[in-house]
Amino acid sequence: MNKVFKALAVPYQIWLYILVFIPLLAMVGIAISNYDSSVLLNQINVDLSHWSILFQSQNVIAFRNSVVFAVLTTIICAVLGYFTAYYIFQSKFKNKFIILTIVILPMWSNLILRVDALNNVFSKNNIISSIFGFSPFGNITGTGLAILIGLVFTYLPFMILPVYTALEKIDYALQEAALDLGLTPFKKFWKVIFPLSLKGVVTGSIMVFLPTLAGFAIPKILGKGNFLFIGNVIENKLLSSTIFYNHGSLLAVVILVFILGSILLLTRFDKEGETLL
Amino acid sequence: MHKKPLIELINVTKSYDGETVVDNLNLTIYENEFVTLLGPSGCGKTTTLRMIGGFVQPDEGKIVINGKVFNDLPPYARPIHTVFQRYALFPHLNVIGNVAFGLANRNHEYLLKFFGEEKVNLTFNDMFGKDQKKSASKLNKVFDKLIEQAAKDALALVKLSGYEKRKIDQISGGQQQRVALARALVNKPQILLLDEPLAALDLKLRQAMQYELKEMQLKLGITFIFVTHDQEEAMTMSDRIVVMKDGLIQQLGTPKSIYNEPVNRYVANFIGETNIIPGTYVKKDVVHFLGTDFKCMGYTFNDGEAVDVVIRPEDFDVVDLEKAKIKGTVTFSLFKGVHNELDVDVNGVKLMVNTYETYEVGESIGLTVDPYEIHMMKVEDV
Repeated sequence: MNKVFKALAVPYQIWLYILVFIPLLAMVGIAISNYDSSVLLNQINVDLSHWSILFQSQNVIAFRNSVVFAVLTTIICAVLGYFTAYYIFQSKFKNKFIILTIVILPMWSNLILRVDALNNVFSKNNIISSIFGFSPFGNITGTGLAILIGLVFTYLPFMILPVYTALEKIDYALQEAALDLGLTPFKKFWKVIFPLSLKGVVTGSIMVFLPTLAGFAIPKILGKGNFLFIGNVIENKLLSSTIFYNHGSLLAVVILVFILGSILLLTRFDKEGETLL
Repeated sequence: MHKKPLIELINVTKSYDGETVVDNLNLTIYENEFVTLLGPSGCGKTTTLRMIGGFVQPDEGKIVINGKVFNDLPPYARPIHTVFQRYALFPHLNVIGNVAFGLANRNHEYLLKFFGEEKVNLTFNDMFGKDQKKSASKLNKVFDKLIEQAAKDALALVKLSGYEKRKIDQISGGQQQRVALARALVNKPQILLLDEPLAALDLKLRQAMQYELKEMQLKLGITFIFVTHDQEEAMTMSDRIVVMKDGLIQQLGTPKSIYNEPVNRYVANFIGETNIIPGTYVKKDVVHFLGTDFKCMGYTFNDGEAVDVVIRPEDFDVVDLEKAKIKGTVTFSLFKGVHNELDVDVNGVKLMVNTYETYEVGESIGLTVDPYEIHMMKVEDV
């Protein structure tokens, strides 16, 4: 049986080597080269001169925007997601699975479609005002607030699920033990439930932080070009008339370093693989 | 000896989804007693314990502790602590963190009362000098020190000194059990509830812990309420045993009286191996069974009434055939170390007999019983 499974794993292994490892190495290689669409393959050399783009104010701002929004989104998602997960966990509702399905339901439709719909709702003439005559969110598109709402709206489920899993794993007897030892329900939460669910919060935070950091679609649609994120810079490098592969690769490598740092954090906290949910 | 009632359960009833788990239970537990609730799973013993602990509210009836009705009091307000079945130790804290957990989360008022003003003042003067103002932060330090000392003492009590900094998953099941015990005992409860705390331990460790628990209970003067389905465990430790079935108390008494004088077949079967033989109460001090009249004592039934005779396997005496009241054939023999277990066939009735001598299968042996070893119960309609 093991042999069969091993054989079945081979296609993915090959896939992994060809389409993940080799491109990844290529990306790192290109980041330290002079390669762009005007350079012929036989003219490629090691070149670090373009590394100066890391210090161009436009790119520094883009990095700052990405990091600031990623951190804000993560914090907001952590707070909202924790309360939602805790509420589901505490509820006496019989089929909690259904509530969780509702939580991830938006993920069943295309991301761009959802963000574009949000963009409509946030615009001056939106669907809500044309139906009801007024709209509470009208005319915020193009602002940082719109981007933030879009990011939180999109990535909140990634926080709720791991936190909920962590909460569900807490042995109910521990809660009884806390009460038995003289804790009020409020103290029980802070001294037992919260510390034991922290792992889920860390896992969720990384799962929200990563895509927010590297993403470019949401800031582009909801930011109306007012906010440049590092993802947008990379996109522009690859869409210009001369395609700057080396610039794009370099910026991507920087993001990769961020991601690797996060994964290191993840492996320290997530020993039971909640991320695989 | 006049004993003071500590816990009274009065007509306590609890049902889940229409199924009665504890049925009109009345039970009085006295100070410094070791009481065991004994019965198979589903007999309501754990539910009874959880009602005393405050985790479950009874549907009807009263739970009175120290003369006060405790029905609606939450667990944290009761002078009761529990050792849980699978210990329920906090995995995010180390051993001493677990033991100190209860006290560390109490307020100053409680702690002042707990440690006593004198001891707190002494420690304070020791740490900060006599005339310092008792600020909250300084008191915090005083209490931290007292709590740490109390936790260390509790660990010493359960023989776990030196394990303070260990993580919970770095100690064995037996040690976890001791930590759970220390965590409850450090709070000096009036009543300690133990929910099958030994079930997960291996036989040797379990037996050792039985003696230790009993010793601790005598030393600390705490009332222990112990739940188990293991009759041997109950026998070893208890002052009194409550045998339960289907939410009803079957029998309440000392281990000896329950073992020797079970009130019905259920109790007799549950408490160890026994022979239950149909018989007739002929007249005062005479009972007829296995075709012979036996002398008996201490029981009163109507003359001629049918009774169930209970004789423990070890109460049969094997004697020479000519002196025997009953004669039978050995059909099975098993060496158990200290004694031999025999199955003896007496005119089609199978008796279990324990004896120190060895007998071969097929051998004829004679049996007799002393009058005081013969116990009788009313015949139940089944």
